[in-house]
Amino acid sequence: MNHPTDGTLRRYLDEPSAIVDADRVHLASCDRCQASLSGAEADRTAAADALTTEEVTPPDIDRAWAQMSSAATQPSTALRDALGGHHPRRRRAQRVPLFAAAGVLVIVGSVGVAAATTDWLPIFTTEAVAPVTLTVDDLAALPDLSSYGEVDMPANPGPHEVPDAAAASAETGVAAPAVQRLPTGVVGAPAYHVVPVQTATFTVSVQKIADAAAAAGSALPPPPPGIDGAALRLRIGPGIAEVWGGVGGAPSLVVARVLAPTAASSGVSRDALRDYILAIPGLPRELADQLRAVTGDGNTLPIPVPDDKFTTFSADVSGASATVIQSRDQAMSAVVWAADDMVTVVLGPLSTDEVLSVARGL
Amino acid sequence: MKGMKGALRALPTKDVAALACEHSPGKHPPESHPDRRVVSSEASLPVMRSDLEIVFRGEYGHVLAVARRVLGSSAEADDVAQDVFLSFARSQVPTSEARAWLTVAAAHTALNALRSQRRRGDRERRVAEREIAIDPAEAAVLSTERQRVREALRRLSRQQAIVLVLRHSGLGYAEIAAATSLSAGSVGTTLRRAETALRKELRDESSD
Repeated sequence: MNHPTDGTLRRYLDEPSAIVDADRVHLASCDRCQASLSGAEADRTAAADALTTEEVTPPDIDRAWAQMSSAATQPSTALRDALGGHHPRRRRAQRVPLFAAAGVLVIVGSVGVAAATTDWLPIFTTEAVAPVTLTVDDLAALPDLSSYGEVDMPANPGPHEVPDAAAASAETGVAAPAVQRLPTGVVGAPAYHVVPVQTATFTVSVQKIADAAAAAGSALPPPPPGIDGAALRLRIGPGIAEVWGGVGGAPSLVVARVLAPTAASSGVSRDALRDYILAIPGLPRELADQLRAVTGDGNTLPIPVPDDKFTTFSADVSGASATVIQSRDQAMSAVVWAADDMVTVVLGPLSTDEVLSVARGL
Repeated sequence: MKGMKGALRALPTKDVAALACEHSPGKHPPESHPDRRVVSSEASLPVMRSDLEIVFRGEYGHVLAVARRVLGSSAEADDVAQDVFLSFARSQVPTSEARAWLTVAAAHTALNALRSQRRRGDRERRVAEREIAIDPAEAAVLSTERQRVREALRRLSRQQAIVLVLRHSGLGYAEIAAATSLSAGSVGTTLRRAETALRKELRDESSD
């Protein structure tokens, strides 16, 4: 009789009932097949040992689920790209261009009304917002603030959830925005998050700016007197974020209101710092021109918007000029405006009409 | 795992491999995606499965174990598990067939990650040392062991590797046959050869 194949013998180890009776009978009386079977069993055991997974720690399923549900409900790559161009599930540290760029833009915006002084004086209060358009590549190419000086960011407390609107207001002193009518598909009560005050101090270093210019292969413009070591103290918040959950745990609507960004100077000549930073090689010229125009009045906060991923237009929200932003795939909309020393943002996987309707009802 | 043949047959090996090799399952536009069950792309608001959380909580540990069987590294296995569930989230695989589908997708994704030479080396050692920091000597030994197994797996043929991983992840012969287009008889033969080859590779490495 023919011997069963190696494959049949191997299957016999795992699924003996799947072997035909004739093979089983043969196996019982064939020394050669018994030896093959023993060899197969030894290989199986060795493979099982090699492929054993050693559970050092049990998986944190709650954390994994939070991570996955967030990624799974990403409405668009556009927003993700703008926020850093990386997949949210990745833990590997990556540069976050928007944050880096925002630092430069806030500095530029903040020095619009800089006054020469040796004391800390308020030099900027957000009274309006305006978009500055650029591309994702522009964002990625921008140097971060540490290329221009020292950034001292104390360990500011992070956002945390509180039980209700009253608790949020009590902790921040900010009146919680009350949404009059939720868009279709957004249901239930929001979770309330408190965003504590965030502060940072930026100290200009002409040496660092010279290094950045040299790296870009350009000469540094002559620094204006007193700029080296000039410091800006930036402050934003506190604020409240109301978050409505959606499918899979991703937000279906976010309404956030924070005390508008302000800046104080320890000694920067008026306009000089802004013009100096705008002249540094590294900022795209078109972006620099926009910033110069937008920040001319000294009270307008520039909002970087990659125009290859988003479109923007202006709209009126209760008398304030708001900037409406929509991803080009129309999966995400946001509206942001400044009024009464507050900056308010409404955003979600909604249409522009829906975010504006929410905004105008606050 | 009854009734899962349909899902596996709907997701042949080469399709899962294509799906997995991108490490970003939503990249394919719906019309060109190898898995026509994928119903949404990242260009639009994802359509989420209502059973996603239940399946995730029930099967995450299993999917992670499949990935760890191949990669060893917990960090990379985590990434693979996330990728696999992202694919699943955008699929219409019946819930009853989810476990087998996830197992096959995890094995392919992990093997692709293994064969991509990037991200190996120092990172794996770092992760291993962090995970098993209780005893640096033991950590070093385990890390070396893991590396040897990964090297050996990398040298197997793709078909041998996938059959080996699927079988040692709990799939039956009929299920593996459905997922690989092999006959059940050929699964046994391939598995036998894969285990022999793996053992030989490990023996050869240890004698080097």
